[in-house]
Amino acid sequence: MGKRQKLRSRLIRDFKLNKYLYLMMVPVIAYYLVFFYGPMYGALIAFKDYSPMKGILGSDWVGLKHFEDFFGSFYFLRVLKNTILISLYTLLFEFPAPILLALLINEVRRKKFKRVVQTITYMPYFISLVVICGIITDFTNADGLLNRLFVFLGYDGQAMLQKPELFRPIYVLSEIWQRIGWESIIYIAALMSIDLEQYEAARMDGASRLKQMIYITLPGLLPTIMIMFILRMGNLLNVGFEKIILLYNPVTYETADVISSFVYRKGLLEFGWSYSSAVGLFNSVINLVLLITANTLSRRATQNSLW
Amino acid sequence: MKKFAAAGLIITLLGALMAGCSSGDKSSGNAAEGASSAGAAEPTTYPLKTDEKLSYWGEINGNLVGVKASHDEIPFFQKWQEKTGVKLEFTAPPSGQVKEAFNVMLASGDLPDMLEYNFIGDFPGGPEKAISDGYIIKLNDLIDKYAPNLKKYLQEHPDIDKMVKTDNGSYYVFPFIRGDEYLRVFQGPVIRKDWLDDLGLPVPETIDEWTTTLRAFKEKKGAAAPFSVVSKPRFFNESGNGAFIGAFGVNRGFYQEGGAVKFGPAEPGFKDYLKLFHDWYAEGLIDKNIATADTKAVDGNIASGATGATVGNAGGGIGKWQPLVEANDPKAVLVAAPYPVLKKGDKPKFGQMNQAYASEGTVAVTTAAKDPALAVRMLDYGYSEEGHMFFNFGEEGVSYTMEDGYPKFTDLLMNNPDKLAPAQAISLYARSSYNGPFVQDKRYAEQFFALQTQRDAVEIWKNTDAAKYNLPNITPTPEESSEYATIMNDINTLVDEMTIKIILGSEPVDKFDDYVAKMKSLGLDRAIEIQTAALQRYNSR
Repeated sequence: MGKRQKLRSRLIRDFKLNKYLYLMMVPVIAYYLVFFYGPMYGALIAFKDYSPMKGILGSDWVGLKHFEDFFGSFYFLRVLKNTILISLYTLLFEFPAPILLALLINEVRRKKFKRVVQTITYMPYFISLVVICGIITDFTNADGLLNRLFVFLGYDGQAMLQKPELFRPIYVLSEIWQRIGWESIIYIAALMSIDLEQYEAARMDGASRLKQMIYITLPGLLPTIMIMFILRMGNLLNVGFEKIILLYNPVTYETADVISSFVYRKGLLEFGWSYSSAVGLFNSVINLVLLITANTLSRRATQNSLW
Repeated sequence: MKKFAAAGLIITLLGALMAGCSSGDKSSGNAAEGASSAGAAEPTTYPLKTDEKLSYWGEINGNLVGVKASHDEIPFFQKWQEKTGVKLEFTAPPSGQVKEAFNVMLASGDLPDMLEYNFIGDFPGGPEKAISDGYIIKLNDLIDKYAPNLKKYLQEHPDIDKMVKTDNGSYYVFPFIRGDEYLRVFQGPVIRKDWLDDLGLPVPETIDEWTTTLRAFKEKKGAAAPFSVVSKPRFFNESGNGAFIGAFGVNRGFYQEGGAVKFGPAEPGFKDYLKLFHDWYAEGLIDKNIATADTKAVDGNIASGATGATVGNAGGGIGKWQPLVEANDPKAVLVAAPYPVLKKGDKPKFGQMNQAYASEGTVAVTTAAKDPALAVRMLDYGYSEEGHMFFNFGEEGVSYTMEDGYPKFTDLLMNNPDKLAPAQAISLYARSSYNGPFVQDKRYAEQFFALQTQRDAVEIWKNTDAAKYNLPNITPTPEESSEYATIMNDINTLVDEMTIKIILGSEPVDKFDDYVAKMKSLGLDRAIEIQTAALQRYNSR
């Protein structure tokens, strides 16, 4: 009892002292309430048969029907598997790529060359996704650029986007191509903050360039890598549906169809608003769990964490 | 996904806000209806005298993409407002995303006064559900009172009247009607006649002749993709109507035979079709990129001479490709080939043949309409004598001239000074080359099909039994519709996957029976049951 009283009086005193600071917080809190927490009640429609004319509150409750429909769907396991696999492959191959690029760029001594490399690698990030997918489709056609190259090297040319087993490699590789330069910027920035004296000292002790990279650069980069990794885990199941939809076709459904593209076909084209929000909710919950797990593991292992 | 979820949340929020507003609108709409019904007896004279502005949601015709950006810039839509005396405020969905945009608009609850949409083909649950969910209004009373022209037409054409109603007898849109049988067939196989002549081959009629022909195209004409069809949005898009599949007695959807409803991809004939196309693909007679072939790719193949046979429309197909092939090879001629059969002399069971009432391009009045009576009177214009000429041919003296009682398109349309193709120029001044709330006139097509090969094509493609086997525009009841949609969504995905995998050879033809078993386990029988019931209801309308 006494403790609570103490806290209250402390709060009141603090409020009196800093009332303008508190006042300045109001718009920010309001912003989050209105634009982020307010709309959350829309998630209710996942448990209702939503009809816009009846409104969110007026629609009929159906309980977990939409979740059951999704889990019971003929395609549920395949879609879940594809989502996880594509995410994992992206994490495995696309996540380290910008780190490697940053390390390589860091080793380049010529400033001009460095800049050219950086510009060229981050350009694709600014091209519209529709154009990117058009380029990918053209390159992988039966008589596209890539196939001509393979034929030149003595392999058979084939329409690659018609091969289910090639969909994931194409997706992941193009993902690397799109993002490597852009994502390396943050690592390059982190490299700048490493104390140059450490390198000097290491050189005095006779460490080679490779040794310097392993014992000074990498540890210096680790906090950034961990934070980026945790953030990435929070998005693990969010495979961009735009790119999938632009690249897939029925023949590659078995490896390409992910939760979001499935929901797009089923929800947006078939007017299943409630169904899509049920799946979206499911997706978000999994992501939240992954984020918390990654954060906890990272805090225990490396003392780096988001919170 | 994040964007998608965020958009979803915003939409739902908007939906909640709008739901409140629209219920208010509804009552005011009813009030207006009641008020103006007093003066109902007087016949409509155009232009109507009103200061009200109505809002109108509809797609801009694909022919005009890249020519005009909005309805307001298109002479037809300006004139339409002038002629009817009703000012319109247009909203257009982005081309190619009509369904998505429509969906988002509905979810927002912010409806315009009028909606131009395909309520049978693209509205899950069909028109009756659109009415019962409270998006659009039942028009029966309003048509009785304010739409004398449409009413007269429907009374004179009971067969069409049956099509434009729901099972319950509700009118829900101002329909697009193909006024002549000639206008109902416009798609079929297309082939390079000059190559056939060079090779001394006849226009192929049977599947065997097609095999010989395609082989000759590949070996003697160097065609890299002898046969190619657009596969977007669905694989073998244009073949869905029965081209080649029809030879085996099935199509890709539901059809009726001997009083029973059947699903083509689950019938044995479909297996034979898959086997044939598998063999053709393995032999290199079909485009290697067939799974990803879009309009652009097929156009390119035909223009460059990589493809010698396809399936396409008389207007947008032959009409579009003929100049393209000629540019590369002055001798090139594209002609229509009949829908293939197995035995010479047989009549193909399927082919493209639309219903006289095509459900696209129809206009509904929404529950949010401020003055439904005014909207109805405005829409009725298209079925009046004056409106008929205006919708089909545009304005006299500008886009057509009367010659011995025959409306002849002017050079502005047929030889456009801005180098627009006739299909594009007509779309600027009239709606006859696509659709809309009016009755289409045969005389437009006689001129639109400028080439003799196009006019012949319709006659050649017409010769099928499609009218007998195709299902009419039937709809499940609102109760059945979500069940039906769920089943068919899964089955169609399966069919698309099966078709292409077997044809490309990543699954053996013998897997077909497994696929059929899988369709059954997904509820095919129940879907057929729903379709059968809908057909019975239709027949007893």
